[in-house]
Amino acid sequence: MLSENEIKIIDFLKKKDNKSAYSTELSSIIPETAVFSLAYLLKDKGYVNVKEEEKEDIILTKEGEERLKEGLPEDNLMNFLKGESKKIQEIAKSFKDFNIALSWAKKKGLVKVDKGEIIPLKSSYISPEYIVLKKISSSQDLSEEDKKYLKELENRGLIEIKKNKVLLLTLLKEPEIRPAITYLTPELLRNKEWTKYELKEYNVEALPPFIPLGKKHYFKEFLEHVKDVMVSLGFKEVKSDFVEMEFYNFDMLFQAQDHPAREIHDSFKVDGKGELSNQSLVKRVKEVHEKWWKYNWNQEVAKSLVLRSQTTATTARVLSTSPNKEIKVFTIGKVFRPDAIDATHLIEFHQLDGLVIEENFNFRELLSTLRAIFSGIGIKEVKFKPAYFPFTEPSVEVYGYIQGLGWVEMAGAGLLRPEVTEPAGVTMPAGAWGLGLDRLAMLFLGIKDIRDLYSDDIEYLRNRKVEY
Amino acid sequence: MVNIVLKESRLLNLLGLEEKELNDVLFNLKSEVEKRGEDELEIEINSDRLDMLSPEGIKRAVDGILGRKLGEAKYEVVPTNYQLIIDDVESRPYALAAVVYDVKLDDDRIKELIQFQEKLHCTIGRKRKKVAIGIHDLDKIDGKVIRYSKVPLDYRFIPLNSDKEMSISAVISSTEQGKLYGNISIKDNYSPAILQEDGQVLSIPPVINSNKTKIDSSTKNLFIDVTGTNFDAVAQTLDLLVSNFAEGGSKIGTVKVSRYASSSPLLIHNKLVVKTSDINKRLGLSLSTEEIAKYVRMMRMDANINGDEVEVIVPQYRIDIMTYVDVAEDVAMAYGYKSFSLPQYTSKGIGELLPITRLERAFRDLAIGGGFQEIFTFVLNKSSYLLYNDFVKIQNPITVEYDAVRNSLIWNMLKFLAKNQHARFPIKVFEVGDVVVKSEESDTGYKNDARACLAIMNSRVSYEELQSVVHQILYNLKGKEPRYARQDKDYFIKGRSAKIMFDNNVVGEIGEISPQVLEKFNIENPVVIAEIYLEKLCE
Repeated sequence: MLSENEIKIIDFLKKKDNKSAYSTELSSIIPETAVFSLAYLLKDKGYVNVKEEEKEDIILTKEGEERLKEGLPEDNLMNFLKGESKKIQEIAKSFKDFNIALSWAKKKGLVKVDKGEIIPLKSSYISPEYIVLKKISSSQDLSEEDKKYLKELENRGLIEIKKNKVLLLTLLKEPEIRPAITYLTPELLRNKEWTKYELKEYNVEALPPFIPLGKKHYFKEFLEHVKDVMVSLGFKEVKSDFVEMEFYNFDMLFQAQDHPAREIHDSFKVDGKGELSNQSLVKRVKEVHEKWWKYNWNQEVAKSLVLRSQTTATTARVLSTSPNKEIKVFTIGKVFRPDAIDATHLIEFHQLDGLVIEENFNFRELLSTLRAIFSGIGIKEVKFKPAYFPFTEPSVEVYGYIQGLGWVEMAGAGLLRPEVTEPAGVTMPAGAWGLGLDRLAMLFLGIKDIRDLYSDDIEYLRNRKVEY
Repeated sequence: MVNIVLKESRLLNLLGLEEKELNDVLFNLKSEVEKRGEDELEIEINSDRLDMLSPEGIKRAVDGILGRKLGEAKYEVVPTNYQLIIDDVESRPYALAAVVYDVKLDDDRIKELIQFQEKLHCTIGRKRKKVAIGIHDLDKIDGKVIRYSKVPLDYRFIPLNSDKEMSISAVISSTEQGKLYGNISIKDNYSPAILQEDGQVLSIPPVINSNKTKIDSSTKNLFIDVTGTNFDAVAQTLDLLVSNFAEGGSKIGTVKVSRYASSSPLLIHNKLVVKTSDINKRLGLSLSTEEIAKYVRMMRMDANINGDEVEVIVPQYRIDIMTYVDVAEDVAMAYGYKSFSLPQYTSKGIGELLPITRLERAFRDLAIGGGFQEIFTFVLNKSSYLLYNDFVKIQNPITVEYDAVRNSLIWNMLKFLAKNQHARFPIKVFEVGDVVVKSEESDTGYKNDARACLAIMNSRVSYEELQSVVHQILYNLKGKEPRYARQDKDYFIKGRSAKIMFDNNVVGEIGEISPQVLEKFNIENPVVIAEIYLEKLCE
């Protein structure tokens, strides 16, 4: 495979009689800087023989150029005399470079001087040096005879002789060649020119340069997958806001106002108070709290703002609309809890909460629903443990079996207490559950440090294998 | 969840169980067991089962669920001549007391007792605010009349584990308990106090006992005082304590009380009548009335059958049983959660995603198509990074790095880019997520706002480079071209930012970030960012 330039060189050599050419000659067709490397490339490929030579380069000096134009002084003197003797004094006045001319004319035996006169010995004269000078300037080959004058021309400062390394390329074989190109172009295809060319080969085994790829976030995809599971089980999605009143985060869930979870260390407080517009709901919530927990329920506490600490607040919001038909809803969203931040703890994480209100819903149905949800997420084996939550009775914790880890606690669930549903005007049984998704995602995504779910290192995101 | 640590050998011996059996039995009683030291178990008790915070309480429950003993545990109660006189103590008005005879205390049992007391303090006692317990060596008390009263802060006594008499103020300022609990019940320079007839201090609730009545391994009989701000909680706490001593073989002695009852402990028994059909309807089972009664008894409550109803007698130690649904849970536990045969789940109704979720998914797909990597950052951020002032500030942050709720995704994006200046360029990223903004329509004054943010960081970026992607995304979402109206905002370079609009609705903004803001985030590469208001697109 030969490049365009390599082919040019071979073509050049082909046209020469002796199939040889100096690198200097080639510089007329190829950038001089490229000639040397191309020559050796061709040699390696066996197309040419390359001989390194020292070559003399003769160039005219500035003075040499001038003399070429004006003639050598001694020649000019002889032409001036035209075969006749003349007085020195007379000539010296009108003849340029007289002393140089006279001295060379005397040295070459062209004139003699006698009694103040110059007597020419020849009627006309053109010096062979001038002829050589002329040949050099027109790059004609010099004969051996000519070369005898070079030394003298150099001494007279008319020429400079430089020694250069040159390559003599001699064609050894003619390739059957087509020029190679890197890119096909529409033109080449359109006019069929492509047939004249070889397509250059690549190093196809080299690794490619980097390009950034658009890619979905693994944890986000996990959350979306869980949403799809819930939808496939017939649940409708709902959502509510991060800033929530304690009323929905706690009070409606039958969590007494002095419950430890409501302390300053267990939820993030936000300035301001919300508005509780449904006063009959408020009144009924107050009643159940005071009846069972035996304290004075304070509406101002209920209006305090927190960042929701459980997505069950969303469930409470749904209940507060007093749905009087059967519903099945779920929400997936962020919750916030004060905690130390380390490899297993964050202060914000995701929960899935679900709510079923159905005429014949019961604990057995709840367990079966939970089993179906976990099966959908990919946990095929679950077991149920009695548990305690203020707002459900019976309550259950769901454990899932994870290969290599054993039984892992995964969700809390239960039938909502009448103390939760009745104030909201919900008369049918209701089941609810909350499921932490971050830990589960870590198990599924093989992540050891929970902070990697929210990695701020783009190379980590780029390099992560996609789950499917 | 409450954790207690018990000596393994003593517990297994008391319960008559092997280690593995213990795990299984306690699992079905809402508890989990974890081995700790050489001969130690850590047991997780659910916060409704305060009766199980001592080994005797665990034994009572285990005996029931294994069918060894059924129904209420009946304990011997004897009257005594002890008397508790209750004065007006406004800061902590309720007090009750009991006597316990024939306790067996060795070092292990004293440890368990202190732990039981502390766990009750933390749970039902709400860190001693609601209820505090004083346990005394009865035989070290002089006289039979005990007074619950208030005393001035210069009143003196020798606090527990000390040999120096000091004033109450000194106890509060110099002892560990004083510092922790001293300010709970002090009012008008008076502290509540349990006193002997002669005025000697036995304890200053909720802080500390006197050293005089300190219990040790030779203690045979106890006097227990419980004080608090809620009568029911005080009565329940005392009931729990004496019941667990009685379960260990001690005798309960009643104390005459002057104010709210004739004597204490009250040993409160509640009666609940539950219908067989209600229990079955709630659980999804078809148990007979007899079976329900049997399961109730296994949970150490008495049950009388009356037609298709069961009368449940809730003993003093089951303070968690309030209504029939609590009975239903106990029945389910005795029946065994694992015994429920589960029907195949059948989906009734059609599932559905919210429109905003569907929009977010479409947006993400298009951004990916534009070659952008999705990122996922925290909702909480550092308030000094949030450049508008309408954000939610957290009153009690854990760290200043996360002391506010983001009000735009732009700041999260800049924070992310700042962290990635040495990654391979170009950086083209996007995020979809909620921010929180003020809202007059919301009952909290704030609402979530779903947004998307796209950014390019490179050694050279241009408005157009990002605009072209945003334009195609929006065009594909709405089927029409958005337009761009020049805007000047101080976090964008002047003349290089625009509002993105459909008709007259602003649905986002785009621009090259100003050098001042890049400096603030320590970013040394140019950045172009767009934020899209997804909720507005959804309208």
